[in-house]
Amino acid sequence: MIYVVDSDPIMAECVARACGGCDVRIMTDAVAAVQALAEGVPDLIFLEIMLVGPDGFTLLNELVSYEDTAKVPVVIVTGLDLAGRDLSDYGVVKVLDKSKMKPADIRWCVERFTGVKEEISA
Amino acid sequence: MCYNGGMDSEVSDILAAARELKMPLATLRQLALMLGEMSTDNERIRAEMVGVSERAIQQVNDLMRLSKLEDGLFEMEPVGVRAVCGEVTREIAELFNKGELMVEYRNRTSVVTANYELLASVVRGFLANAAASASDKVRLTVRDAGGKVEIAVRDRGPALPMEVWREIRKGRGAAQGPVAMRPGASRLALYTASRFSRYMHAEVGAVRHRDGTSFYVRLPRSEQRSFF
Repeated sequence: MIYVVDSDPIMAECVARACGGCDVRIMTDAVAAVQALAEGVPDLIFLEIMLVGPDGFTLLNELVSYEDTAKVPVVIVTGLDLAGRDLSDYGVVKVLDKSKMKPADIRWCVERFTGVKEEISA
Repeated sequence: MCYNGGMDSEVSDILAAARELKMPLATLRQLALMLGEMSTDNERIRAEMVGVSERAIQQVNDLMRLSKLEDGLFEMEPVGVRAVCGEVTREIAELFNKGELMVEYRNRTSVVTANYELLASVVRGFLANAAASASDKVRLTVRDAGGKVEIAVRDRGPALPMEVWREIRKGRGAAQGPVAMRPGASRLALYTASRFSRYMHAEVGAVRHRDGTSFYVRLPRSEQRSFF
């Protein structure tokens, strides 16, 4: 299961579609994401930092606070300039710039961090 | 050179607008890319959509860089001219049909004092404008000019009125619409190029020809030996 957390539903759908055949769940704010985490821990999270309500950093803090979610890889998908910021302590494995990324970058992240290559190419 | 105070407040307004514009443009670009993944029909239209949104995002990024100029956040350093021009021309090649963009290096001095990111924006702005009216070949030339290194872009689009160019060089006229007679070209790109050049203590200018205009930036050469 992959979570996509973005307050822009169109961008969230673009990311979800790029995940190919994977099981994807879209959430438009951090509160909904926290609620979803109570139901199950995802294999990967695509997260925008700028969210309506609590921001992406709030969710990152929440994730590292619990043992079961602390190891979930998080890919930041944002328009913010995060160059030079080390977010690895938050479980962030990659930062994608929304204005430059391509669907192939999303697929690469799914393959790299979840290892579900077969489902995507199907 | 001092900046116009009114201009600075105008820049901060533009910056706020730029931030607002960036995400919708990024979304539009993603939609165009997604469309291409779903179908190979209308590939040309899809490519145009991606290209237009990428150019708009680039301009928005340049506007956001303007605010950083005021804070002096761009370091001046030795920069390899060929590296900058090579990167920008590779990046922007899609805007030109094959053979329309020619690059010519006539320089002996290869390293200038500049900021890599700002210089890349200046060259990208000149080339993007030339591409908007490229009915013929566009030539990028790098050459030594006195104690400086000149990067010039020669395009054959309709000439830019000199009074317009003078206003742009003075840091005025940023948001007054497209360059006259050049739909698709942007006065904004020239304005940001002018501001970035000033920051880098570079000289920016234009030479009018019978069949177009050459825009150039002249940069001080770096005293550091080239390792490239």
